[in-house]
Amino acid sequence: MASIIINGQELALPEGEKLNAIQAAKRHGIEIPYYCWHPALSVVANCRMCEIEVGSKDPKTGEIKMIPKLVPGCQTPAKDGTVIVTDSPKVKEHQRLIMELLLANHPLDCPVCDQAGECGLQDYSYEYGQANHRFVEERTIKPKKDVSDLIQLNQDRCIMCTRCVRFTREITQTGELQVRQRGHHAEIDVFFDEPVDNPLAGNVVDICPVGALLDKDFLHTQRVWFLAKHDSICTRCSTGCNISAEENKGQLWRFKPRANPLVNDFWICDEGRYSYIHANDQHLLSSAYLKSGGNHTAVGVDAALKSVSQTLSLVASDGGKTIAILSPFLTVEEAYLFASYIKGLNSENVVALGPVPVEGEDKTIKPDMVNGRSGDTSFIVPRPFTIHAEKCPNRKGVSAVLEHFEGEVIDFAAAVARVESGEFAAVYLASDSIDPWDDEPIAKKLRAGAKHLFVQDVNVTPIAHIADVVIAGATFAEKAGCYVNADGRLQYSEAALPPRDGSLPDLDIFAILLGRMPAPVSSRDVLKELASVIPAFAVAASGKLPEFGVLIGDAETPAAAVGAGFQDAWTQHRGAQL
Amino acid sequence: MAEFEPVLSRNWNVPDSHTLKVYESRGGYQSARKALTTLDPDKVVQIVKDSELRGRGGAGFPCGMKWSFLPKDRKETFMCINADESEPSTFNNRILMERDPHQLIEGIMLGCFATKASTAYLYVRFEYINAYRILERAIAEAKAAGLLGKNILGSGFDLEIYVHRGAGAYICGEETGLIESLEGKRGWPRIKPPFPAIEGAFRKPTVVNNVETLCCVPHILERGADWFKSIGTPKSYGPKLYCISGHVNKQVCVELPLGITARELIDVHGGGVWKGRKAKAVVPGGISMGILSGNELDTKLDFEDIRKPGCLGLGTAAVTVMDDQTSMVDYLYNTARFFAHESCGQCTPCREGCAWIYKTMKRIKGGGGRIVDLDVMLQLANNMGIMPGTTICGLADGAAWPIKNAMAKFRPEFEEYIKTHQSGPKQITELQEAIFQGKTPAISGPSLPVLNAK
Repeated sequence: MASIIINGQELALPEGEKLNAIQAAKRHGIEIPYYCWHPALSVVANCRMCEIEVGSKDPKTGEIKMIPKLVPGCQTPAKDGTVIVTDSPKVKEHQRLIMELLLANHPLDCPVCDQAGECGLQDYSYEYGQANHRFVEERTIKPKKDVSDLIQLNQDRCIMCTRCVRFTREITQTGELQVRQRGHHAEIDVFFDEPVDNPLAGNVVDICPVGALLDKDFLHTQRVWFLAKHDSICTRCSTGCNISAEENKGQLWRFKPRANPLVNDFWICDEGRYSYIHANDQHLLSSAYLKSGGNHTAVGVDAALKSVSQTLSLVASDGGKTIAILSPFLTVEEAYLFASYIKGLNSENVVALGPVPVEGEDKTIKPDMVNGRSGDTSFIVPRPFTIHAEKCPNRKGVSAVLEHFEGEVIDFAAAVARVESGEFAAVYLASDSIDPWDDEPIAKKLRAGAKHLFVQDVNVTPIAHIADVVIAGATFAEKAGCYVNADGRLQYSEAALPPRDGSLPDLDIFAILLGRMPAPVSSRDVLKELASVIPAFAVAASGKLPEFGVLIGDAETPAAAVGAGFQDAWTQHRGAQL
Repeated sequence: MAEFEPVLSRNWNVPDSHTLKVYESRGGYQSARKALTTLDPDKVVQIVKDSELRGRGGAGFPCGMKWSFLPKDRKETFMCINADESEPSTFNNRILMERDPHQLIEGIMLGCFATKASTAYLYVRFEYINAYRILERAIAEAKAAGLLGKNILGSGFDLEIYVHRGAGAYICGEETGLIESLEGKRGWPRIKPPFPAIEGAFRKPTVVNNVETLCCVPHILERGADWFKSIGTPKSYGPKLYCISGHVNKQVCVELPLGITARELIDVHGGGVWKGRKAKAVVPGGISMGILSGNELDTKLDFEDIRKPGCLGLGTAAVTVMDDQTSMVDYLYNTARFFAHESCGQCTPCREGCAWIYKTMKRIKGGGGRIVDLDVMLQLANNMGIMPGTTICGLADGAAWPIKNAMAKFRPEFEEYIKTHQSGPKQITELQEAIFQGKTPAISGPSLPVLNAK
């Protein structure tokens, strides 16, 4: 078995992965500080923070030979018999010097800097730096500038790690950012009239280890240590990017990507990043409504649900049929409970798929080993990033549930046609879509085709205006549950916000309708239950999913992705926790 | 020692030495003809290896060994010729290119033949416009004569030489910086490995050689490795072009066997220190190599001996002489300014360190120095470049070495300077006093108040 010797300890190396010294040490809990290195970008070794002592052990004689100089850890392959020393006086002295040099021209304006609290400079100067400052000269001052409408560059805080430059060259291959000037005047800049403009632009803010690149959307809004982070899934498209939804004072402030080597690598698209704003919308449905005499009156959720429950039971006992329309924004658990409820009333009842929003075409960004790269690329496994045209998170998951109950997936057009033919006495539409579903003609068709129309949604839509009962559901941020992404990967998303006033999470609504309340319902339990019922979800039988999700049913296994999740040490969470 | 017969500079004083006609009439292109028609590329590499020709660009890396690092199964090789001669007070490559361009072309032919490269990029410093024009003309001439192009001399060997002008950056003389710049990118040195021999220009195996190194190759092939090794000192064989500048009577570029002492170079070839003064210090090979003090002048200027008095290496063998009235503070200030200006800004220690040292030197020179500054500078220099492996390329070493040498050899002078050059205590002006008191300054007259008015 391959092993690496770190600080005198012989430790195992994982098989089949090409790691550098930083990654190998991190697997064993030993930190080698770094700034410029990023697992998806080529190695340029220019911050010189990760310098360590490196040597090799002779496999036959066991003799250890050290290289007589410091070597950047990001550039050192972790091979069998590699010896690395990360805590020698020489290394520590070097780290102290690098910290001193990096801070020489730094404005030290942490009190007004958004990065404070998740800043590489703060963390490392505490751990590896020195308290005194010998630099008495005048600082080199560089201006603040805008590199795009959404990104601000505080050049004076920049440490020239060039992560952002390499990102635009190597990952998006748009190359908007560049370095200009030389020496200590060197600065990051964009070309005239060519702002950073690509679908992944916001990621340059995330990969910046200091407070140089800042998101103007988040600028001076919150101190990061007040934010509670929730491991969530982006619902803006069917890619299912792993995100951290960050909330304080009952509203979302930003989305940050979480690394998942099987889905989104380290990135999220701007469209997803700024979709958090929908959860803060002040005009979301904030109460349940009952229609009486042509007017809607606000009522409590219990009254609305009672009305729905009674009506549907009545329809069932009269031998009428109900159609439930499940939008692809529902979680797997919600879909399961909803379908169970509808089918439990009358086995003749129908469950169908709601409208699937599609915009444009799939956009795939394909980084490769060559384009734009100039450093050492031997540690990189380039992975494409796709922004799907299907703007909903769970079409596959809802379809799998529907297939179990119905034997087939009845799409929305077919469902509308059947409603129009007068087949159903009641229509129950659960939507929760991010963008309001405002197809008024179809809404009118649904209204005309059935005697009862119930709508459960988060937005005030045309169909809500004509429904008999309107129930306020949960936004993507208010619900916990699993989604199945475009690759068939089942992933769990935490709730970030409590339910809005007057609303209930959809899972609770369906549980109440099923008569399971007041016993609390948790998505974990429901997942366990549905895994035992629906064979496609058998992989989730324990109710707990692996870190990077799991492929359901007979989805094809993608080529083995190398490299576990990775997070820069300074972005690791230390703030408020729920 | 018998009179040394010039090898590289033998055509310099011949009229029209830059033309093909004159070059051929003096035995030019003979070794290229011989090698291309009778020898095997590997044999050429072997001869150069045997001659122990060390690179003349600065680091002194054995040339034959560099060529043999190329992977055996390579499909395409590039040759880059480093003519980005930017080290202060170095000008031997310029003369080589201006006075004898065909010698260089022959050297490139042989180098490319040996390394099986059919494309050569001649990276010429931006400022060398004359050399650029002369080279362009010489290449056209050689091409017309069938010495470049397809199937040269019926040997089946193709070669095209492209002259590329730099854009005025010192760092582009570093081999990987040169490659990046040649590719049209910012001249930032790359990390090694991968070495250029494995993955260089355009991600293909690449050899980067200095102009003077390649100029030696035709002579080695013509006269043999043993002849070459008969010149110079052990481990440093062959002739070398020394540039002498500074406070000497004759600022020249002379060709001498490696291993001449600094004293002989100055007194015999440079005509002695000017105005009858004594040499206080000598920069032995471009400012990044450190400094020799006046009593170390008997050091041999070759690749090995020069390290004994604490210099970094021979460098480009550009000797700059400073007479006994030169201030070492000025010397170090100028050096620091040069490196702060030329640091590419990639690695943290060099980017921040060079600027820091420059700012400190500026302050000391301006009369605000403290003794502790010298220790801070020395410590910075030690961590920035003298401890190996702290930066990607050698520029930081070059910036640090003069400080280390100057502190070791001339520290008392710096301390003296700091003590005697202090600007007087800051006096509060009337205006400042008035502002401090919160009063309207009692200065009459319509114009701006005169500061420091007594």
